[in-house]
Amino acid sequence: MTFTGGPDPRDPDGPETPTRPAKAAAKDLAAQIGLIARGDPGAFDAVFEQVGPSVFGIVRRVMRDPAQSEEVTQDVMLEVWRNASKFDSTRGSAMAWVMTLAHRRAVDRVRSVQKESERERRTASADIPYDEVMEAVESSLERERVRRCLKSLTGLQRESVTLAYYGGYTYDQVAGLLGVPTGTVKTRMRDALIRLRDCLGVAV
Amino acid sequence: MKLTRGKRRTARARDAHTLAGAYAMDAISESDRVRFERHLAGCDECAQEIAGLREATARLGAATAAPVPPGLKERVMAAAAVTRQQAPAAEPDSPARVGAVSRAGAWLRSLAWPGRLVMAAAGAAAAAALAVAVVFGVSNGSIQQQLDQAQASSHQIAVVLTAKDARMMTGPVTGGGTATIVMSHAQRALVFTAAGLHALPSSRGYELWLIGPAGTRPVGMLPQGSHGMTGPVIASGLHDGDHLALTDEPASGSSQPSTSMMLDVDL
Repeated sequence: MTFTGGPDPRDPDGPETPTRPAKAAAKDLAAQIGLIARGDPGAFDAVFEQVGPSVFGIVRRVMRDPAQSEEVTQDVMLEVWRNASKFDSTRGSAMAWVMTLAHRRAVDRVRSVQKESERERRTASADIPYDEVMEAVESSLERERVRRCLKSLTGLQRESVTLAYYGGYTYDQVAGLLGVPTGTVKTRMRDALIRLRDCLGVAV
Repeated sequence: MKLTRGKRRTARARDAHTLAGAYAMDAISESDRVRFERHLAGCDECAQEIAGLREATARLGAATAAPVPPGLKERVMAAAAVTRQQAPAAEPDSPARVGAVSRAGAWLRSLAWPGRLVMAAAGAAAAAALAVAVVFGVSNGSIQQQLDQAQASSHQIAVVLTAKDARMMTGPVTGGGTATIVMSHAQRALVFTAAGLHALPSSRGYELWLIGPAGTRPVGMLPQGSHGMTGPVIASGLHDGDHLALTDEPASGSSQPSTSMMLDVDL
């Protein structure tokens, strides 16, 4: 007899087509999370297709270790499944909800194991952020837009955001790395995100 | 902000406000986070600002999107099938069991979808585990004990389904039906389910075996399942060189296979 492993090649589900209007996709995502809350596995499958790559992407960006990133991605997606009923569409988009879960979990995990390898990470991450992130950003309209908006920030704003969001550092660690007062970093972080929000045309 | 609230409060609120960016990026210590969230609870304006900033950080995050490692989705789907969901905060907790039944039903219904055969099989195996847990819980005398047992077995099954190296195989059974196996070498265990097996008289049953250099060991009888599926059976203690076999035996089970093998899988 023949046994076959791996995913069914007939699976017609590909990734989201980039031509699809983002607004409709966002609305879909919120509706799908509503269905997940009612235990619909098909909705969970669809949501995984839509957000999985972004969740894995940010978790890996923060954590670096691919095996641990896979584990944390799994935890995040299960958290989406478990807590779908807690998602409130009046308090933000579904994508922001999922990415907040993902980023926080990745950061928490990094910080809980950071003590022993702090010095290493510090040197490693201080060099990478901007260039590496930009290199990893493939050409797509959305990524191009993020890239352009990041470029529109001042140097200090951009470095603060990159070290904090992609590097997983706290504001006082960022202040230490950049050699500026913590008050300045806090302000720059907020200013930077406000600028990014406006530049990216985020509707709230 | 009203001026009448006093200068001190204003200063504190302003300080909390400047933390918004760091908070939206999780760039604060646990103690700062707690303090800021306390502030957020009483500040609609701040909550709204955070929501906006989080839309921006989500876009930063999405810009790092990368292909998900193969098999990850299948593992997550399988784990979800045996993971209980949180009830909405406003609703009482008591109808949870009913929810579990309908969820299992939803997983089984998902089998009908074309093009998702492999994933659905894993889901179905897990759903069957869930269904077993529920059915045992309500139909037997010692409910708690049965439930504990079923949950322990669900847990074992979940461990295999979510193992890093879990591999799924599906194939036809001689005489009709399809077998699905999810195996983890690391856990030295597998989960077996079958669908559409030829119905046997009540005096007979399907028995699963591990056969290899370590000897021939009966795994157990396949439990009757619903919707034409057998309940999942877990086989642990796999050895190198083991084969998995299925035979037709007396309902009480045999210690050695007594009929020809309807399935023989080299593990």
